[in-house]
Amino acid sequence: MRPLLLLMTFSGSLAQSNVVPAFSIGGVTPDVPLILTVFVALRRGPETGCLVGFAAGFLQDVAGGGLLGVQAFTKALAGFAMGLLVGRFWVSKPMVQVPGLVLLTLGEGLVRFLILQLFHFPASLGDVFIHVILPQALYNGFVGAACALTLSAADVLRSRAWS
Amino acid sequence: MRGRRYVLLVLVLLLSLLLLTVQTRTGGAGRAGELVAFVTTPVQSVFVMITRGAFGMWNRYVEWKSLTADNALLRLEAERLRVEALRARESEQENARLRRLLTLRERLPLSTLGGEIIGREAGGWVRSLTVNRGHSSGVVQQMPVIVPQGLVGRVVQVRSRASVVQLLTDPTSAVGAMAQRTRTQGLVEGDAGGALRFKFMARDGAGVAPGDLVITSGLGNLFPKGLPIGRVARIEDKGSALFHFAVLAPVVDFARVEEVLLLTEQTTHDVASLFQEGG
Repeated sequence: MRPLLLLMTFSGSLAQSNVVPAFSIGGVTPDVPLILTVFVALRRGPETGCLVGFAAGFLQDVAGGGLLGVQAFTKALAGFAMGLLVGRFWVSKPMVQVPGLVLLTLGEGLVRFLILQLFHFPASLGDVFIHVILPQALYNGFVGAACALTLSAADVLRSRAWS
Repeated sequence: MRGRRYVLLVLVLLLSLLLLTVQTRTGGAGRAGELVAFVTTPVQSVFVMITRGAFGMWNRYVEWKSLTADNALLRLEAERLRVEALRARESEQENARLRRLLTLRERLPLSTLGGEIIGREAGGWVRSLTVNRGHSSGVVQQMPVIVPQGLVGRVVQVRSRASVVQLLTDPTSAVGAMAQRTRTQGLVEGDAGGALRFKFMARDGAGVAPGDLVITSGLGNLFPKGLPIGRVARIEDKGSALFHFAVLAPVVDFARVEEVLLLTEQTTHDVASLFQEGG
């Protein structure tokens, strides 16, 4: 992985526990490391997406005080899955990326819930889905849309500079 | 090529599961977590500094924009004075917070350790704070963490220079508690929505009512007796059910906690009288 990618993963994951809470709406925060993982996977494929997802999730586990390995597992899986979809289902289009990110957040949340169930996580799926997974998926979609538009604009500017 | 990528995925997932297994077997965050935390804790502190600085500057900018004085010199002067006043107000508020913390610390019949919040996790899966005190300051697991208003939570992970504090609103948090007026015993639990619930036996005479203060019961010898937790907002009456739930309004605003006290010693005294309404 390039140093820039490492730096993005490191700072994005740590920012989740102390910078991102300042942007919470009604107690809901976007999952920046997941958004980062998805966009990296879209551009670099499943292997890099998987590694970045693992690193981002692991750092998030350490910084947030949860069970070490849960988010490393789910985000590695999410990065790999998104990377595999490149070239299929028009995932290069922002109109597909954003709903894809929302669905992936829902999937990541459900897998995370299933893993936590193995460790006797006490909350019910209904509660977690309504209060945590769904609001975060929608927030992620909003942030993801902003990121997708920014990246598209950057690509256009770059291609104009080359031509 | 295609096979290699699946081998990588399987390896990464196995590594994650190994981390989970090792952690649950040993009961701690494991060596890997300790090592990573050693690097991440200073970076987190820097991030907090930058965030606070950036938001402080943004707030000042917004205030500046609202000034409409015509005279340029006077406006510059007013801006300078405003910045100084904001700084002074910020220092004054910080002093007031620290003074309240110090007063409580002096009144408590046990030794404490002050700490500053350097990270927050409020996503709903985990609700925790990271404090800049760890092994090196003598922090151990399960230490109660308080502010002048009442109980914040307990230490669940200790690293060399930082600790993770599980908030009362964490879905896995459970604290032995009682209603101060009626002495009804029960359990205060967090839930996924971020609320606090007091679960108590609803036999005749329980008499818990909205407005009642719920404090720690001291049972289990983990938290001293009498630490304020929250006030009863409403009772969820389940008819003939053995247990009723009371929804609590926490006495501590967890989103605004910036400094805390860690209780490094146990006491059997009831400390309720040392806590005042509003800190």
